[in-house]
Amino acid sequence: MGGDPEAARGRGHRGLPAEAGCAFFETRGVERLYGGVEPALKRALAAVGPTWDARIGAAERKFTALAAANVAQPGQLLVVADDRSREFLAPLPLDLLPLQAAQQQELKELGVRRLGELAGLPGGAVAERLGPDGRRAWSLARGGERRRVRGRRPPSELVERLEFPEAVGNELTLRRAFAVLLDQLLARPEREGRFARKVAIAARLVGGASWRRTVTLRDPTAERDRLRAALGPKLSEIPAPVLELRLELVELTDHTGEQLELLKVAGGELDGRLSEGLRQVRASTGSGSVNTVVEVAPWSRIPESRALFVPRDD
Amino acid sequence: MVADSRIAGTVRTAGRLNSPRPALVEATGAGVPRLVNRHSVAVVREEWRVVDRWWTEEPLVRRYFELVLDSGQNTVVFRDEERSCWFTQRA
Repeated sequence: MGGDPEAARGRGHRGLPAEAGCAFFETRGVERLYGGVEPALKRALAAVGPTWDARIGAAERKFTALAAANVAQPGQLLVVADDRSREFLAPLPLDLLPLQAAQQQELKELGVRRLGELAGLPGGAVAERLGPDGRRAWSLARGGERRRVRGRRPPSELVERLEFPEAVGNELTLRRAFAVLLDQLLARPEREGRFARKVAIAARLVGGASWRRTVTLRDPTAERDRLRAALGPKLSEIPAPVLELRLELVELTDHTGEQLELLKVAGGELDGRLSEGLRQVRASTGSGSVNTVVEVAPWSRIPESRALFVPRDD
Repeated sequence: MVADSRIAGTVRTAGRLNSPRPALVEATGAGVPRLVNRHSVAVVREEWRVVDRWWTEEPLVRRYFELVLDSGQNTVVFRDEERSCWFTQRA
């Protein structure tokens, strides 16, 4: 199995690292569904269609798969067995490797022009000559590591963040800030009445570290108390003072709806009129003009640390 | 931290409520205010100290006074001992 590297170069294949127009994916989960890796990949190729001249390379190792995709013709699928990986890579050119042009030139001047020639050298000598990049290239020339492909985490649908003027380590203060963020997130018009299926709370900590916890709800909801019960206890797990607190609705349902109450909560009409009044004030004075005072540390001896005002744009 | 590539969420920066404001204060030799923003001090009702964040690079050392001015106005001023200047604040 393999391709003619000169012919491949004539087709204009490009070297590593993987860039726009290149995607890696695992087939383990769908091979049984389609009757094997080749039928699964043929299905994937058919789904992409002929417009993009897609090529697929498959192997147990990521670099070998990428090399196979580079060698394959448009519309072609090339599968490389793991025990044939080094044999397949051997005749391929160095420009498949993530090396700078100067490093590739240095290897060519030493008479190394193919991946097989590089793979045959002692790894220590390559590392000494070309540094960590050279060591990595040498490892890839031998097939690279066998690692699982980890999919990119999709972006959250809605996010609200609150930055603190100074780091906050007090859990009660964080709970109050969390309550403010939750109210603002649920009031976002982009939510369009949809329910939260998956939520996350995250923080930027003193020292540059970050912290995040995700909760998938058994029943999607937009009820404030249920969301607070799901995420609130996580605040006690934050390991360091917080500079920024973030609340995310990671996944929302497709269906919308309004959860009606059998009996109106006392004062509900007044809240509605107050909200409408605030909206009118905001409309006439601009964003940032309406704020909520949040008591964060009323026991503090420093007066300006007892409460914060948080802009409300809902 | 790596910049977030998510949908741009709303960032709200919380502001301090009751931030100190600079004040023009003349004090006696003992450091007790006698003029605040060109108003004479009629009564010194209370005095206290706040020493905090001494373990940080920005320690906080303040000497507070609750005053009644000759206009009848009740006010609180403090001297920031680290910066050697006066501020007014609602305590």
